[in-house]
Amino acid sequence: MTLHVALLKRRVAFQVAGALIGLAVTAVPASAHHSANAFDNAKIVELNGTVKEFQWTNPHTWIQLYVVDDNGSRVEWSIEGGSPGTLSRAGWRPSTFKNGAKVRVKVHPMKNGEAAGIFVGAKFEDGSSLGRW
Amino acid sequence: MASASAILLKRAALGFALLGGGLLSPDYGIAAGAAAEIDTAHLPGPAKWQDLPDWSGVWRETRNTIFDHSSIQPPDASSGTPGAREFPPLTDKWEKIYAHNRDLAAKGQFPDPITMCGVPAGFPRVFNLPDVYEFVVRPEESWILSENGPNVMRIYTDGRDHPAKEDRWLTYTGDSVGYWDGDTLVFSTVAVKNEGTILDRTGLTLSDEMTSITRMRKIDDDLIEAELTITDPIALTEPWRVTVQFERLPDGARVYDYACAENNRNPVTDTGHTVTLGPDGKPLDDLPGE
Repeated sequence: MTLHVALLKRRVAFQVAGALIGLAVTAVPASAHHSANAFDNAKIVELNGTVKEFQWTNPHTWIQLYVVDDNGSRVEWSIEGGSPGTLSRAGWRPSTFKNGAKVRVKVHPMKNGEAAGIFVGAKFEDGSSLGRW
Repeated sequence: MASASAILLKRAALGFALLGGGLLSPDYGIAAGAAAEIDTAHLPGPAKWQDLPDWSGVWRETRNTIFDHSSIQPPDASSGTPGAREFPPLTDKWEKIYAHNRDLAAKGQFPDPITMCGVPAGFPRVFNLPDVYEFVVRPEESWILSENGPNVMRIYTDGRDHPAKEDRWLTYTGDSVGYWDGDTLVFSTVAVKNEGTILDRTGLTLSDEMTSITRMRKIDDDLIEAELTITDPIALTEPWRVTVQFERLPDGARVYDYACAENNRNPVTDTGHTVTLGPDGKPLDDLPGE
């Protein structure tokens, strides 16, 4: 009895999760290919910038984002995401980050302060969001 | 429900009798005390098409890429959790190797071989990868296909034995032969090149002497389970049993290309550091001693 209820619950949970994948664009861990040791998973930095380029490539996707820093200088951030296959199954598309689009992005930054991070979430100008926002 | 319980009890009793005191796992019907060997010299040969189970679809591991979730500490750890480790029945020699690897991992100097874009995941890590899987079954041979890598593992069920010991050489996925026990694919894996590969990023490894018996079964429409009984006279004091499960993705899911070298911006340096390349192609990392 317990076993059957547990299986049923798991199946229902999975079907709900599957339905959500169809409706919403979800976050996917980016560390499928390498250790994330260089990144601070306990810290989140929010960037406000303009998309220079979206590299829809294996083994990881990369959002190249122009961000104006506190000194007024333009800095190019490299934001690492999951593979195109995994992201596409979660609702992402090659056109998700269009060149020139203004977007806010949350990342787990590199521990040493360099301009790179692991993707956490994004919010677009139309109010829609992606990942954990 | 009473009748189901009765059936389970019957199966347990039968298992007890058959295994001389061993137990049957009541939900899967797999012998929990099953021998860690099968007689590969006398395999029964191919199954009939109509007797094969339907393992079609796209599957992914139900949990993160810790290899042995039954022994991981802390229990909710991922492979990047500081201090995380598993507790296989390691020999003293291998306990020291694991401690050394964990120390390197903590310092960011235990690179994942698959980061090199060319080293296969190997066996048994092929059962412990992110992204998705396909399991293709035919009477005479079955394939485990992982999107990540990609990796291909071949399992012969046409009745053949492993090659003679003097004719084997070590490969990443080794040599696998087996048979269909009803709806369960049972196979033996030998001749695995474990040097240079890992089981997960906690630093867990095995020796080139490792062999394994794997039992794979679809336990409901959306769940496939693989139970591995791993033997390794160098690394393990006794057989080590590990269970991994795969859940089915919604119908229509696709599997894609995974060209690891296409744009690998996380190469590994000579000192074992996995670096991140900036837009100019130069590492953004501070590398002590370089």
